[in-house]
Amino acid sequence: MFTRQIDKRLKTTFILFGALAAVTGLSAYFGLHPRVSDVGYRPEQPVPFSHKLHAGDLGVKCMYCHNTVEQAGHSAVPSTSTCMNCHTAVLPESPRLEQVRESSKSGKPIEWRRVHKLPDYVNFNHSGHIRAGIDCASCHGEVETMGVVTQMHPLNMGWCLDCHRDPVNMVVPAREISGIFMGMKTYEEVADMWANEPPTWGDGKWLSTWRTPDKRMLTWKAPSELDSAAIQAAMQAHEEGFLGVGVTQHTFLADGPAADGMSVPKKPALGPENCGSCHY
Amino acid sequence: MATSSKRRLPIFLVIIAGVFIVFWVGLLSGSIMWTSDQPPLMVIPDMDNQSKVSPQEQVNYFADRSADRAPLEYTIPRYAEFYRATSIAEAEEMYSNSLPSSEWILARGKNRFETFCAVCHGAEGAGDGTIGERSATLKPPSLIAPGALTLGYTDAHLFHIISMGQNIMPGYRDKLKEVDRWAVINYVRSLQRKHLGEDALQQAHAQPEADMAMNEGEDMTDANAEGEQQ
Repeated sequence: MFTRQIDKRLKTTFILFGALAAVTGLSAYFGLHPRVSDVGYRPEQPVPFSHKLHAGDLGVKCMYCHNTVEQAGHSAVPSTSTCMNCHTAVLPESPRLEQVRESSKSGKPIEWRRVHKLPDYVNFNHSGHIRAGIDCASCHGEVETMGVVTQMHPLNMGWCLDCHRDPVNMVVPAREISGIFMGMKTYEEVADMWANEPPTWGDGKWLSTWRTPDKRMLTWKAPSELDSAAIQAAMQAHEEGFLGVGVTQHTFLADGPAADGMSVPKKPALGPENCGSCHY
Repeated sequence: MATSSKRRLPIFLVIIAGVFIVFWVGLLSGSIMWTSDQPPLMVIPDMDNQSKVSPQEQVNYFADRSADRAPLEYTIPRYAEFYRATSIAEAEEMYSNSLPSSEWILARGKNRFETFCAVCHGAEGAGDGTIGERSATLKPPSLIAPGALTLGYTDAHLFHIISMGQNIMPGYRDKLKEVDRWAVINYVRSLQRKHLGEDALQQAHAQPEADMAMNEGEDMTDANAEGEQQ
């Protein structure tokens, strides 16, 4: 039909286009995956803050500045006043801290650039993870070694699920540098617990949660264990006016009772039970 | 000539293609990583960025571009803890330590102490924290030295210092809940008991407050109480 020359050219063209389409398609499909496109995001911050210096060298715990993590879903970037806790006395004249002093004086917050961003329809809750003894480094990498914070994990849904299906190899158990409260367990014991008795689906939900009409949460152990000695002791302690600050949040767990309003660790579970656990 | 160049060309191409494929596969699988100052590329953003305000986000609606608003004047957030005392005397009248020194509470106190206090006061309370070493003016006091002022202070007095600050120390009521502050006080007492013995603690509390009065001139709580006056 065609001459030999045209036939050859057509073949070459098809092959070239095919190869081009394949490379483009593969690049788009895999290259835009968050593990390629999101990992490595490392914005320069308005103030050259080094986590390596503060957490790594000086040993300031993560929770000194990010102090909302064990109680709230949102892990707060510290206010300027937190910086000034130390920097009124440490390097009070440093030119690099000019913006911090200015912000402290004027009350206008420093506009830090956000590194780790989940989509707006995701309701990730820090407190549940922190209280289950999952270290910050599980998701954020070892921030105490970073001069400029870099996103180390893709933070996409598949990655979340990977961990929720088989957390043992992905979770970094709570470390001392994070300042995570693990009850009377030492951090070594927490690591042992993660290594030797990882959370399973096996015996149902460990915790069930209700919301009271005033939107505060009541957290209990599994209902089947409500008559256990620990719960009884906690109930009794509460009835005896354990701490009269008028807070009605009761949180009980395996190791024993705590005072009203005190943040307590919880038994890690594989959770979330359904789509609504994260997307609500 | 013709045959040798024909033979060499494919080898050259194969090497190039091999390197290209290895690089590309590494790149696509995420095992080759580089860093970038630019925000991640979003081809299909779906509803990733919604027109709602998340905590601590920047918004253009307000002049200071902060989404977090302070409560209105003369108001406090519902369910928020509100520290009412403005002086040590008031604190001693209003607050008393009703938290038992159980093992659990002390573990909590230890954790909070090591997180918030140890940076200056040192993990054992000896005043040898890492931050103190970085400053010429910062001389955090030891909490466990034989003559430590905190030894003689009442728990409510310590509660007031932790809440409102003293001298260069800022208040920590924004970082430590009331129950955590009491837990820290219990832990500090346990440290003092450990290093100085129960007797020293009892003795210090038996002394009249007058002995301590000379040191109270340093108190700067009024300056720190700004904004919480009701």
